[in-house]
Amino acid sequence: MAEPIRTRELRTVAGHQVWFDSEGFFWEPNDWSEEAAEELAHEGGIGSLDDVQWRVLRFLREYYQRNGRAPMNRELKAGTELSLVELERLFPEGIRMGARRLAGLPNPKTCLD
Amino acid sequence: MKNVALTVNGRPLQVVADEKQAVLLDVVREDLGLTGTKQSCDRKGQCGTCMVLVDGKAVLSCITKVAALQGAEVTTIEGLGTPDRPHLIQQAFVLAGAVQCGFCIPGMIVTAKELLDANPSPTRAEIRRALRRNLCRCTGYVKIIDAIQLAGRFLRGEIAPADLMPSPDAPALGVSHPRPSAMAKACGTASFGADIRMPGALEIAVVRSPHAHATIRGIDTTAAEAMPGVVGVMTARDIRGTNRIKYTVADRPVLCDDRVRTLGDPVAIVAAATRDQALAAAEAVVVDYEPLPALLSPEAALADEAPQIHPDSPNLCYSQPIVKGDAASAFASAAAVVEGRFRTQINHQAPLEPEVSLAYIDGEGEDAELVIIGRSINIHLAMASLQAALGWEAIRYEEPFSGGQFGIKVEVITEGIAGAAALHFGRAVRYVPSIAESMLATSKRHPFDMGIRLAADADGRLTALGMDITVDNGAYMSLGIVILNRALHMLTSSYFVPNIDVASRLVYTNNPWGSAARGAGPPQTHYAVECAIDMLAEKMGIDPLEFRRRNSLKPGETKATGHVVQEWPFPGLCDAIRPRYEEARREAAAEAGDGVRRGVGLGAAAFGIAMPGDKSIAAVELDPDDGVTVYVAAADPGEGNDSMLSQLVAHVLDLPLDKIRLRTRSTADTTASGPASGSRVTYMIGGAAVDAAQQLRAAMDEVGARTHAAFVEAGRDTRYVGRRTTLETAPLDPTTGQGPSFEVQVFSVQMAEVEVDTATGAVKVVRLTSAADPGRVIHPLNVAGQLEGGMDMGAGFALREEYVAGKTRDWVTFKFPNIRHAIDMETIVVETPRELGTLGSVGIGEMAMVSTAPAIVNAIRDACGAMVYELPATPDRVKAALAAADARLVGSGT
Repeated sequence: MAEPIRTRELRTVAGHQVWFDSEGFFWEPNDWSEEAAEELAHEGGIGSLDDVQWRVLRFLREYYQRNGRAPMNRELKAGTELSLVELERLFPEGIRMGARRLAGLPNPKTCLD
Repeated sequence: MKNVALTVNGRPLQVVADEKQAVLLDVVREDLGLTGTKQSCDRKGQCGTCMVLVDGKAVLSCITKVAALQGAEVTTIEGLGTPDRPHLIQQAFVLAGAVQCGFCIPGMIVTAKELLDANPSPTRAEIRRALRRNLCRCTGYVKIIDAIQLAGRFLRGEIAPADLMPSPDAPALGVSHPRPSAMAKACGTASFGADIRMPGALEIAVVRSPHAHATIRGIDTTAAEAMPGVVGVMTARDIRGTNRIKYTVADRPVLCDDRVRTLGDPVAIVAAATRDQALAAAEAVVVDYEPLPALLSPEAALADEAPQIHPDSPNLCYSQPIVKGDAASAFASAAAVVEGRFRTQINHQAPLEPEVSLAYIDGEGEDAELVIIGRSINIHLAMASLQAALGWEAIRYEEPFSGGQFGIKVEVITEGIAGAAALHFGRAVRYVPSIAESMLATSKRHPFDMGIRLAADADGRLTALGMDITVDNGAYMSLGIVILNRALHMLTSSYFVPNIDVASRLVYTNNPWGSAARGAGPPQTHYAVECAIDMLAEKMGIDPLEFRRRNSLKPGETKATGHVVQEWPFPGLCDAIRPRYEEARREAAAEAGDGVRRGVGLGAAAFGIAMPGDKSIAAVELDPDDGVTVYVAAADPGEGNDSMLSQLVAHVLDLPLDKIRLRTRSTADTTASGPASGSRVTYMIGGAAVDAAQQLRAAMDEVGARTHAAFVEAGRDTRYVGRRTTLETAPLDPTTGQGPSFEVQVFSVQMAEVEVDTATGAVKVVRLTSAADPGRVIHPLNVAGQLEGGMDMGAGFALREEYVAGKTRDWVTFKFPNIRHAIDMETIVVETPRELGTLGSVGIGEMAMVSTAPAIVNAIRDACGAMVYELPATPDRVKAALAAADARLVGSGT
């Protein structure tokens, strides 16, 4: 029998049970916390987040709260005053899988599960 | 060649044309840029979207030779009227609610012009005859016929368009205000994908697999690359990302690398200066295939010796039981039990517009964005999927007007090809496949194989349901899990069934891959369940409508998945349709004859909206001119989402409709509000927009003014973000199938009246009636239009349509419903505002076809005693069912 494929997963992060999608993005952006970001950063091999990384994460969250989506790359560059190369150095998993995921921005959704 | 002088929309034109090849469509669209004239059927004269007037006669421009037009006066849709100065026929189409996706509408209006010029008072039969060459997938033709009769009244001077326009002080909700996009579509100025001009762009052709299952041993592009006009050929190794499109599972390649898994799988891309050059070169690409066993059924795919289609998943890729109560005991003690095995077909969603995507690079260096103009109804997810598949982070996804979708545009199809080509060749590209290739390349409706047992007690109350469901997932996952889960969530239709034992499984095969298709799962299971309901009612001697009403869920009871329902206004719908039902019964009894027998059948549905875990987000902004812009990604391929959003926000803000603007088509300025699918747009996206508007309204009240200037002066934000989140999150329990379910439901009871020719097996649907309760109605004409179009699609699913890979290649072989098949329809709308609804509304689009097929099949059985267990109910299948019924009668000695 095949293992059921599930598109959501309940995990305990920073002491709280939180739903994540199949790519490890927060299902609900309000479940995010700074402690959760730190824990996920350790999990991803980044270690402790430094001030520049936090500047990026805070920009992403503020942008999402106002626009309901992640910024385009050019908006991210302008908002953080960092180049793409610098951003990718800060988040080795990339902007989407690294920075956006740690910032608690949700993946764009399928409709249903 | 021949030198031809003609006029187009009054403009003199001289064309030197190839006598055998040049057709009017190309002059109009390509040379003059009059793209209101469309093309759908690969220039076979099958669809009527290309109609223009030649000397006052409506002609199919795709098969009209230019050489024959010396001295002709050609009029296109643009020559009839413009959005600023529309023709009366164009106004009639808008006001009658005949414009949904709008792709067919220019051709319809042109044909109507010829008819009304000759006959200003046509009957419905005369309109049907005149429009016999025009196809429409959205409307069921009802409102198109209405519109032409209305245009006749305008032209005869009986009334004027202004007489039908809602007054400026009409309420925003509950009134059929003209759709914001309708007039542009009626005048041919709305740009669909293939209408967008992109001078200098490369044209794309795709090499597709002729095998359902094969290993790719090698690809030789040498000959193709040497052909005229060819810029290059690319294969999977030229794609820098994962090369996998992911909706729920990343298993579908943009271009196949080592293996093809279904007929038509993409293998290579050819880019050339012209489309003909690209197509010719695609023929010259040599692919060395080693055929593998083609697994063309779940049985074959589950056989012990069957090869595994995907390396990281068994062919049995998902299963989900439902275990509720004690079904075995309930069956053992039941007063009556019925059983049967029902099968549905692979079907094409059949939007009239062929697939199309364009792509180009905007900017340079780090600022370079890949812009994809595609057809997705979930643009933010499509963008994310393409970012990974193509290995390019900076993507902007834009959506033009879209010619119908019915589920097919949930998935990324042509966008991956166009995006990959634009990146690889570093040029702008257009990918405009034929309708035959569009059918080959796209997802389909899943076929279901369903064994069912249904039991009731002596009081005629349902006690147990048992089912085994096997779904042929085809070659790729797409939404397979979602479709199966949706079917399970809605398995018991409108009824309370205390004991359930269901096994379901999803199986990879080498058939066309299934995905979203209007209703997405429930239309298949409702066919089995609603037919079994009728069989059980008959066995117990209970009227089918009474049986349905008696078994309705009640607030506080549970659905199949154990979810407790709070609102369930289904009994009221049964009461609403009862007078028409009893009348139909009387008519059927009066018209009973030997050769042609008349029957009446019912089907019901409780269609769930807003799955656990669903969420949406929207933004509204007060603009400097004191209007308000709504920012949401809400595709509108015909349902009327533009009406819904603008009317909801206008209501909340108490603003005139012309003060509300919508930005819905680009990932660069919309919120990631989720897909325009699952009938969730009004409830989820509309709900988020209402939340945002209510925040703005509250701010207006606090500021004490509604002007942008006052907000700035008061230091208040002019932009507000709203959200809609379902109350529950958890998925179904993997071993019991119990768990939270959809937050709200839209209900329907449909009735079919049919005549069955018992000699030929031919079925004529005399009338379809749909009683529906979608909550508070925002736009009555849009609701009726969805019901009519849904019933028409349901009738096609029930009686004619089937997609056979390799054989279904155009609208004739698909058996597209034309106006000769148009069915007399009646709609009954009951408004029960829902507590959780978006200002009381829930939605309607998919439910409209969920119960049509069982209503028709039950009517066939009512007419002649023959139960058709496999769709479509073709004449041969009806005759076979009649023979089986006769054999049972002989066997039973009656």
